[in-house]
Amino acid sequence: MTVGHGIFILIVVLSLSFFSYNAQRLVRYMMSIGQPENRTDHPLTRIKNLFIIGLAQKKILRDAVAGPLHASVFWGFVVLTIGTAEIIVQGLFPGFTYAAILPVPLYEFYILSQELFAVLVLAAVAVLLYRRIVVKPKRLQGDKVHSGDAILILSMIGALMVSLITLGAFGFALHPDSSTIFQPVSLALSHVFGGLSAGTLEAGRETSWWFHALLILVFLNYLPYSKHLHVLTSLPNTYLANTSGPGVKGAMSYMDLEAEGAEQFGASDVTQLGWKSLLDSYSCTECGRCTAVCPANITGKLLSPRKIMINTRQRLMELAPLATGDFGEFEHHTLVAGEGGDAGDASASAALGNTLLDNYITEEELWACTSCRACVEECPVSIDQLDIINELRRDLVLMESRFPPEIQPAFESLEKNGSPWAFDPGDRAKWAEGMDIPTMAEMVERGERPEVLFWVGCMGSFDDRAKKIAVAFARVLQAAKVKFAILGQEEKCNGDPARRMGNEYLYQMLARDNIETLDRYGVETIVTNCPHCFHQIGNEYPQLGGNYEVIHHSTYIEKLMDENRLPLNGEGKALTVAYHDSCYLGRYNGIYEAPRETMKRALPMMTLVEPPRNRSKGLCCGAGGGRMWMEETVGKRINVERTEELLATGADVLAVACPFCMTMIGDGVKAQGSSVPVLDISEVIAQQLGNQS
Amino acid sequence: MKIAVCIKRVPDMDVRFKIAPIGNAVDEAGLKFDINDFDSWAVEAALQIKDKDSATEVVIVSLGSDSVQETIRKALAMGADRGVELKVARIPFDGLAIAHALAAELKGGGFDLILFGKQSADSSNGAVGAMVGELLGLPVVTAISKLELAGATGSAKREIEGGQEFVEFPLPAVLTIDQGLNTARYPALKGIMAAKKKPLDVRPAQLGEQSVSVTKMELPPERPAGRIIGEGASAVPELVGLLQTEAKVL
Repeated sequence: MTVGHGIFILIVVLSLSFFSYNAQRLVRYMMSIGQPENRTDHPLTRIKNLFIIGLAQKKILRDAVAGPLHASVFWGFVVLTIGTAEIIVQGLFPGFTYAAILPVPLYEFYILSQELFAVLVLAAVAVLLYRRIVVKPKRLQGDKVHSGDAILILSMIGALMVSLITLGAFGFALHPDSSTIFQPVSLALSHVFGGLSAGTLEAGRETSWWFHALLILVFLNYLPYSKHLHVLTSLPNTYLANTSGPGVKGAMSYMDLEAEGAEQFGASDVTQLGWKSLLDSYSCTECGRCTAVCPANITGKLLSPRKIMINTRQRLMELAPLATGDFGEFEHHTLVAGEGGDAGDASASAALGNTLLDNYITEEELWACTSCRACVEECPVSIDQLDIINELRRDLVLMESRFPPEIQPAFESLEKNGSPWAFDPGDRAKWAEGMDIPTMAEMVERGERPEVLFWVGCMGSFDDRAKKIAVAFARVLQAAKVKFAILGQEEKCNGDPARRMGNEYLYQMLARDNIETLDRYGVETIVTNCPHCFHQIGNEYPQLGGNYEVIHHSTYIEKLMDENRLPLNGEGKALTVAYHDSCYLGRYNGIYEAPRETMKRALPMMTLVEPPRNRSKGLCCGAGGGRMWMEETVGKRINVERTEELLATGADVLAVACPFCMTMIGDGVKAQGSSVPVLDISEVIAQQLGNQS
Repeated sequence: MKIAVCIKRVPDMDVRFKIAPIGNAVDEAGLKFDINDFDSWAVEAALQIKDKDSATEVVIVSLGSDSVQETIRKALAMGADRGVELKVARIPFDGLAIAHALAAELKGGGFDLILFGKQSADSSNGAVGAMVGELLGLPVVTAISKLELAGATGSAKREIEGGQEFVEFPLPAVLTIDQGLNTARYPALKGIMAAKKKPLDVRPAQLGEQSVSVTKMELPPERPAGRIIGEGASAVPELVGLLQTEAKVL
């Protein structure tokens, strides 16, 4: 054993020990502070997510520029890790090489892959550094983040690639007979080194090897101190996430209000969040994709989903060392220090007195959220920012009764009238007067059963504009000879506004009442034109024992068309239509094509135009998450921002598939002084109904 | 400090009422009931005093059938300490009969303040608070929209026609609360859970003699539906004409 060999073994043992020490600290913090959660169900779905979102980089590639660059570095990392392993084993067992164990063609393929990916990574790193230092894209700014950590990491990766190539080049120059065309770059570089003495070449080779091997260990040990911890956590985080399933996408977590001894509802601190939210916070690389698509942030509000994650991590790192007795770490926060400056107080008593809510995340940020799910959709490592926002809102309302004063009347009216507005519940079916639409009660009395129940929703029942949507959709159903009923006075708000505003108690009250009504009539199939009713009843009522087939009217109309049940006149002018995606239809339920397809079929001469932000990248209208009932006084109005995008398409008609979007986009059009009509897809279709024979 | 707040359970006003077949009462079928708004502001006023001085005890008193327990629990969920139901089969119309029952309960209770809403949304007599003050021999200030306490003295503001009036009174006193004093807090789930464990005593109400009764109720005449004359400037002359000739408001 040479001295160098001994030193290397010692260094490997020390650095792996130190890394393990830090890794177990991070795991211990997360698991001892966070609430228990089961994240190992449905392993097949999780493995699928791991492959598609993790290994295939599906979500990272949503960014057309940074996506391919990151994917190059990631795939390079995966491939080069095989080479890294060889180099470390070589250090421990001198003379080891894969050539000894691999068949020649496979070995040649292996060294070629190492060489090519090293060059690819080097090129990508160069561009990424250029972006960080020169271009400085907007999404990499804000939330007190800076690029120091990123530049350091990128430089390390670059240096690793350079040393890998010089290692090969010096080796070839020293022993030209070992050269191979499967390492073309090293080979080319070795000719440059040709004139150097054997001693210099040997020194160069030795230096490259040591530099590379040691830098790998430095890199590994730097990760727990950096926001680049995601190198280690992103794949586990993707596996353990529920944002792309398993389970229902976007459903808020079930809350047992009658649980024995339950005293805390929602979360005001990291100790009340699930451990997965804490792992999410470790996995955030502060890339800002979430904040860049957040409608609140885009229009100048305080909310930044990235800041929510940074704050969660900061609060965890403030509290966890204290709670676990790791006082050294408490005195000097270093682990996953990342960036973003809101570090907590230094004294232990102050740290214990702090909470995530208020000391880090303010009420104003939380109430700015439209629950549009754009942040969750965008996050490349499947972080669920919305889950934290929802849990903090729950604490605000259920524990502290703190919320914008303007939503109190909505809460009170939901409780008293079963609708967020103070309308007489007795007037629910007034929109249908003279249309010969039976209520469920009337149909049952006649001894009949409907094919479907039309769930009208509070907007369709009480809002003057949305009532016209209810009428249009009812006309479509009647034209298709669908036997349907409504609940009339027995329908209540589905509870989505209350739930999204944090009022789980009120939500469960409404939902249980509705489930009782639906079950009493044995309802199986429900159609609704409101995506909020659609999502809530279909996806979240099962948590409370309500199981129904719920269909959005876009999909239902498409089905009627498929079955040739809808008499269309086939006429219509050559219209240009821009469709605005509803969040609860699109991102929550993946329905993007049915609204477009139904309009195309009803209006053969129609041209569909898309605003730049469409489908899963669509911008929220601003009404979700209970924002419909809140004042919007900070920054630009979200509905105006969205309407401008829609009007900029030059469309003759703006189409929506949600009554909330209708209000927001309708108001936006008025605010712009435009006269472009805003229509629900059912209204577009109702206009094309042919003669009913 | 010890504060009693007398509250009434009233029907929600967002619905259209029907007269019961008996002719002198509202048909209660399908109606939702809740705490009278003015009374909720009285509860809030008491709780704001308690927020500043946690030694304050807030007692809720409500006269009615057992259904008032739900209303009392709501006030307890907002933060009051305990409740008393003065049980009657049916709330009488005669305010003096009610005032006797309340005074019997409150007398000797050692209350520094007895708060009422200035009137109930359903019968709108606005009489019970002042009658209780009279029966207990305490100073009464009605319809206050601002309240300050300093030791054994209180000061209040009253909105009167065309102005405001500032009054002073010694404690103990009976006050009735007008709109504008505060906004009632929304009970958090935490408060609702806590309220389930707070004491709520039920006692038969010692109603006074009832000498006034309702003989008949009628709904207001139905308002004719609004009319849209037109849009834009061209509709203005016709509108002005109609406002002069038909509505006679110009």
